[in-house]
Formats: sequence, structure tokens, C-alpha cells
Amino acid sequence: MLKFVLKRLTQVVVVLFLILTVLFVLFRLAPGDPVERMIDPDMTTQEAEHLVKELGLDQPIYTQYVIYLKNFMVGQFGHSIHYGDPVIEIIGERLPNTIMLFTTAVILAALVGISWGKIAAWSKGKGKDLAFTIAALVTHTLFLPWLALLLVWFFGYQLEWFPISGMVSEEVWLDPDATVFDKFWDVIYHMALPLLTLFLIHFGSYLLVMRSSMLSTLKEDYIITARAKGLSEKDIRNHHAAPNAMLPVVTSVGLSLAFSINGGALTETVFSWPGIGRELVFAVSHNDYPLAQACFLLIATVVLFSNVVVDVLYAYLDPRIRY
Amino acid sequence: MAHVKKSRCLLLDLLTRIVFIALAVSMIWAAPVQAASKDILKLGVLEEPKSLNLWLASDAWSNRVLSLMYQPLFIRDPKTSELIPWLAAEKPDFDAKTLTCTVKLRPAKWSDGTDITAEDVAFTGHMIYLFKMPRHYSKWKFVQKIEAVDKHTVRFVLSSPKAIFLTRTLTTPIVQKKQWAPLVKSLEGTTQSLQQFLQHEFKEPVVSGPFTVAKWKKGVFVYMKRNPHFFGQGQTIAGRKLGPHIKAIIFKIYGTADAAILALRKGDIDFYWNNIQAGYLKEIEDDPEIKIFKNKKSGLYYLGFNLRRAPMDDVAFRRAVATLIAKDFIIKRILQGHGEVLHSMIPPGNETFYNPNVPKHGFGLSREERIKAAYEILKKAGYTWGAPPVDASGKVQMAKDIKTPDHMPMRKITILTPPADYDPHRAMSGQMIQEWLREMGIPVVSRPMAFGALIQTVKTQRDFDCFILGYGKLSMDPGYLRAFFHSRMNKPKGWNMSGYDNPEFDKVSMASDGELDLKARQKLIFKMQDMLISDVPYIPLYNPIVVEGVRADRFTGWVPALGGIGNIWSLCEIKPK
Repeated sequence: MLKFVLKRLTQVVVVLFLILTVLFVLFRLAPGDPVERMIDPDMTTQEAEHLVKELGLDQPIYTQYVIYLKNFMVGQFGHSIHYGDPVIEIIGERLPNTIMLFTTAVILAALVGISWGKIAAWSKGKGKDLAFTIAALVTHTLFLPWLALLLVWFFGYQLEWFPISGMVSEEVWLDPDATVFDKFWDVIYHMALPLLTLFLIHFGSYLLVMRSSMLSTLKEDYIITARAKGLSEKDIRNHHAAPNAMLPVVTSVGLSLAFSINGGALTETVFSWPGIGRELVFAVSHNDYPLAQACFLLIATVVLFSNVVVDVLYAYLDPRIRY
Repeated sequence: MAHVKKSRCLLLDLLTRIVFIALAVSMIWAAPVQAASKDILKLGVLEEPKSLNLWLASDAWSNRVLSLMYQPLFIRDPKTSELIPWLAAEKPDFDAKTLTCTVKLRPAKWSDGTDITAEDVAFTGHMIYLFKMPRHYSKWKFVQKIEAVDKHTVRFVLSSPKAIFLTRTLTTPIVQKKQWAPLVKSLEGTTQSLQQFLQHEFKEPVVSGPFTVAKWKKGVFVYMKRNPHFFGQGQTIAGRKLGPHIKAIIFKIYGTADAAILALRKGDIDFYWNNIQAGYLKEIEDDPEIKIFKNKKSGLYYLGFNLRRAPMDDVAFRRAVATLIAKDFIIKRILQGHGEVLHSMIPPGNETFYNPNVPKHGFGLSREERIKAAYEILKKAGYTWGAPPVDASGKVQMAKDIKTPDHMPMRKITILTPPADYDPHRAMSGQMIQEWLREMGIPVVSRPMAFGALIQTVKTQRDFDCFILGYGKLSMDPGYLRAFFHSRMNKPKGWNMSGYDNPEFDKVSMASDGELDLKARQKLIFKMQDMLISDVPYIPLYNPIVVEGVRADRFTGWVPALGGIGNIWSLCEIKPK
């Protein structure tokens, strides 16, 4: 196992290096110029060149690449061109917001999806199966911004149960007497609609994967054996079939958790959630190289390491798998 | 073992219950705090400021916050758009012979209670000069000397006469020497000092404006509290008694216009500080709790030609295209009535410099008359058709196989536009122009392109035929005409994207640049507009109207100005109802 983990980690390092290079090249090839916004019509060519030099963008591309790699090795991601702040600081501000919303949504959707998928497979062809499968297919195929706006309009605007958007109420956060408890409930209150949207969009995929995997498992000999042993249906479903059907779901949940750090630009935009997804879109569209590179690199790193974790988890869940 | 299994089964049930209970508790616990404070104005915006360092942030969203913090010597009167003293006590005293300008400051204080002095003004100028500050240096580089004559008098000596000195240099925001000087000193002699300078942000900026940032929760809201030392408080400037009469402003950041408009209708915000698109307007206009303001702005949206390529290098072709474009149709159908037709490169809102007598290609003509007029222009210039747009009986028909004066079939022309998700008006205008030109047999296609790529193609690579671009907020000083059309700017990354080259225009534009007499300059600018509309390197299309919405039940006293009610005057004058 240790040998396998070391081998996979070596692969991760190589892939990460390739990703670093691809990111560097891609952003340099992309149209647009970050300095363009700072150049005004009355600047002479010399003044414009001076500006490019002052901003450190006058170096040849290979020199920039070497500096970029060196900085990465020492954890230096530079400053955002537009915000002027260190990239790490910007990511540090936005990432927890994204993790809080998306990880909660993935866990909740996975728990419900797995449970309902299990029940749907067990009741194959019956009313429950039909209801769960249709619900999963409908919600999974909904266009996220449309669903989000619909929920905002209905629960936020018409019923006024939840806020229309944002992550906090300024009244609470500006109130010197507000306790941590008040602030906590305020965030939960604002999380309701984005959480519901993400849950509705995601639980269907887990349900369908679990259902399909369960259906294959139910045909296995050990299920017949369990029945022959006189075990209860609930026992067979929950303790014999379900654990063995979990493998594909584990991969799906593992990767979803990893990808949840990139947030969802659409969800974050519709709900004005100050997360990393919105920031990533801003950085790419405004040619903010340092910020965009760091965001992508973060996502790539987490996804790569999650893959390793999922592989290891496989061996733990299925004793037949040996590395 | 059985106990463990049972616990696992209960886990899901428990978690689901926890989530629902948490949401229910949050509704009870958090919802009541939504009540609005009477003297706090809540604004909805779509982006937060990029930085509170005013030398780095230049975008419109940052300016909404920064313009309330840092103040210039002179500012535009909201009614007349003329420059009036702001931090300055009176009009500048300019000696044309010695190129010396003396400005007296009014008694005013920074937000830390110290006096705003001539030293602060001189320091700001020196700092811009020292760092060759992007976007500002070109407005200051002709200032040879700045000196503080006394505590409240500053003198500028120019190296050459420059019209933009009054309109652009003296409207630069002033910063406090006491706060900025140590930073400047610490960066002297360092490499990439400009970069370090732009990346610096003061935790507590010292400001001269009516409000200052007290708390900024990144990505969520910016809280600005009233500056108790604001010089305008209780003063009458431009005939207006200033406040502010509100305690604070909260800028709430929304990801989409949909959310912001719903928030306005729900009462979460008092003012949506952005243009309301026509699609939302009907619903809002029917809402009795929302008051709508419609104001002109200083915008310019246009079709540009690449004069380096045929047939765009032929003025007859460009005039024919200008004749074919039904600008009133664009206003009526695409902008849904929320705009004005532009005939000149200066919008009519700029009353001092707008030339109302420029030639108006095809204005007031019907579709058939346009085609006939364009046909005459092209026929006279030697263009021929397989099937002409006007047949022998004078009836308009679909033209085919247009040939250039050298008897060659006309090559396919591409109109580049920003994509519809960036600006639907420009994308749709491109489509309409494509159809109008096709009626003349001109092989043309309108192609949306990502904004960054479009700018690079047009400005840097100069590999294009036509493009549609625009400026949402043009300077009130028409100096941009020289920047856009002087032949010196016809270079890669230069602002003369069309490649217009007219020595007569160059001469007049340079003369206007150095003309300090307003009347004389006005004449020159009028002449430049005439030349441009006659030579048609650009076809001005439209200037949208700014539509803004406020809660009718919350504040009164909004000040309409060119560009809308979202301005420092409004925020200094509004009072809670």
C-alpha cells in the first residue's frame, strides 16, 4: 500500500508540474492585456513601456516562466493585478465561503441521494422507484440559474422567508452588540436558498448512481445466500447490498467534494455568494494572471490529491482490491 | 453491534432534521434584523471596489466609492455640467502670458481633523509626476512647477498651454501629504516602486469627501460612514445646500441585475446604482413604491471602419454605409426607446462642445429613400451591381453581386461586435447593420467576439474590417477626439484604431489641444466634428439614456445630472422621508 501511495504521489507531482506549465502558457496566449486598462490615450510609447517595466511584465516569456516556477516552489503567488492584494489573501478570504456552502451541499445531497437510491433500487419498478427516479432526473437536468432564480423569486421575494442573496446581513455584522451566535445564525439563514438549489441539482446524480450500482449488486450470489440464510430484507439491503454498491458513489462523492472548492460560478453569481468561483471568473475575464493561475492551481491540487485519497479509500471499502 | 447499526440508520435522519431545524431557527433568529435604519442609505451595486488605493482602482464600480472619499479642486455642476470650485475657493486665476495658474483653497479639513492645505495639492502633483502614475501622468506632465504660495494658495506653472489643464488636471483627486508622504519616501530608489505603490492600501484612509469606508466585508458589503469634517457640510455650493443628511451608506454587492432589482422591489435596498435594462423596466414602472429617473449620459457607441483596407478606405463607401444605417430604428427597437441618436462624435449632453450642425447622413429618410441615397453615392463612386438595389423603374429590390470601382467583386466584410451577454445592444446593432448592408448587395457578416479578443484584434493586431464599440462615460473634455483620430495615434496599441490620417485634422486637433480660450477652442472642436462626420472613420450610432430606480418611500432630494442620479451631489443632498 505504501509503495502504491508513493507512486501515486509521484504521479501527482508530475501532473501538477504539467498543469503549472499549461496554465502559464494558456494565460499568455489568451487575448487581452492586463496593462491595457492602465494605458491612457495620451501616454507616449516610452511611457507605456516604462509602465510595463514597472509592473514587471517586460521580461521575456521564458524568464517569466522561471520566476513563476521559483515563486510557486516557495509558495509565492504574487499580487492580484486588479486588487493589488496578495493572491493568497484573496483566496483565503473567498475559499472558506465556498467550502462552507458547497461541501455542505455535496454531503447533504450525497447522504439523501445514496439513501433514496438504495430504496429506489430495492423497490425496482414500484411506485417509490418511479417517484425517486423521476424526481432525480427532473432536478438533475434543471438549468441551475433558472432554478436558483425561481427559488429566489418564490422563497425570497414572494414569501419573504429567506434573503434574496448575499452571505450576511449588514445589520448583524455592523451591530457591535451582535454575538457570534447571531452571526452564525445569520450565515445559516443566508445559506438556505443556495443550499437548497445545490442540493436539488446534485442529489439526483448520487441517487441514480447508487440505484444503478445497487441493481447490479442485487444480482450477486451473496445476496441470494443472505436471503437463504433467512436475513431480513432491511438487513440484506442495508448491510449486504448497500456497502458493496457504494464504490462508484464513493468516487463520485470524492471528486464532487474536491471540485466543490472551485465553487460554482453560476450559483455564487446568482446568490451573490462571495466565493472562489465568482473570483475565478472575474480573474479570467480581466486577465488577472496571478489570481487566475493560483485559483486553477488550487483546484488542480485538491482534485489530484482527492483522487489519491479515493484510490486508497477503495482498498479500504473493498477488501478484494489490493495495491 | 446492533446498536451501532441502528445508529448508522439514524444518522441520515438526524442530519436531515438538523438541517431543517437550523434553517427554521435561522429564519426566526435572523429575519427580524432586516428592518431598515431610517438614515442609512442602502445601495445595490454589481461589483465591489477593486481597491481603496485610488491610484490603482479606476473602474466605474470602484469610482462609486472612491469618488465619495477623495475630492478634487474643481467639480462639474450637476445642472450645467460646468466646472465649479469644490476644494478650491474660487475660479482659477490663469495668466496666459506666463502660463501660471493660481488656485485658492477653501478652508477644509481631512477626515482626521487636520487642514487641507496647498502643500497637499502640490504633493499630489509631485507624486503623480514621480511615479508617472498610470491614467494621471498625461494630465500632469506639462505642469512644470507646483508650489504652495501659502497655506491656502497653490500655483501651477505650465511648460506649454494645455486645454486639459483646467478640465482634467484640476479635477484630479487630492490626497493627504501626511498619510502618503512616508510611503513615497519608503519607495524612493526601490525597483518596481510603482507596483509596490499601487499595491499599498491604508487601513484607515484619510479623506476629504462626505463619506469614508468604515467596514468592508469583501464580496458582501461596504459600509461608509459620514465624515464629520467634510468641508461641504452646511455649505451652499452651486446654489445647493449640502449635507450629508444621512448617517451612512451601505453598498450591497449583488451578483446579477435580477437579484439587485428584486432587492429594490422588496425594499432591501433604497437605490440600485446602475442602469436598469429595458427588459426590467415595464415591471418596475408599474410598481408604485419605485421611482424611476431617466437622464442623459455622456456615452458614445459607434461603428468603426478600418481605413487601411478596401473598400473601407473609400469615403464614398463609408458615407453610403452611414446613409444605410437607420439609427432611429436602433433606438426604437434595440434600445426600446432608451437612447438618443448620435450624429456627432461628441454627445449632445456636452452642450459646450457638441456641434449640432454636422452633416447627418440619411437622417429622417425612409428605408427606400436610404437605399436610393446610398445607391446614388456608390454609383457615382463607380460601384456596379449584377442586380442593382434600384431597378430601371426606380423600384427598390434586393441587390446582388456588387463590384468595386476596379470592377472586382467586393470582398466579404466582417463587423466585429462584443457578444450579446456582454452587451446585447451592440451585438444586435451589428446584426441589423448586416441586414441593411446586405440589401445593397454588400457581402457582410456580423461576428460577436469576446471583449478582450475584440480589443486585441482591433487595437493591437489591427486585423479587422469594421467593429462596434463604445464608451459609457466619455470625458466632458473633448480632447479624446485628438487621441482617437490624430495620425500619431495610428500605431499598434494606439487609440486611432481606424487608421484615420488627415493632416488638416491633425493640425486643428493640435491647435485645440493648446487653446485655452473656451470660445476659440469650441470653434476648433466644431471644425473637428465636421471633418470626422464628413470623412466617416467612425459612424456615431447612439447614446443610451441612464435609467435608475429608487424606493419612493425612503429618501427625497435626488439630484439628476448628466450620467444619472448616482452622484456625489445626490448623496450630499438626500434626506430621509
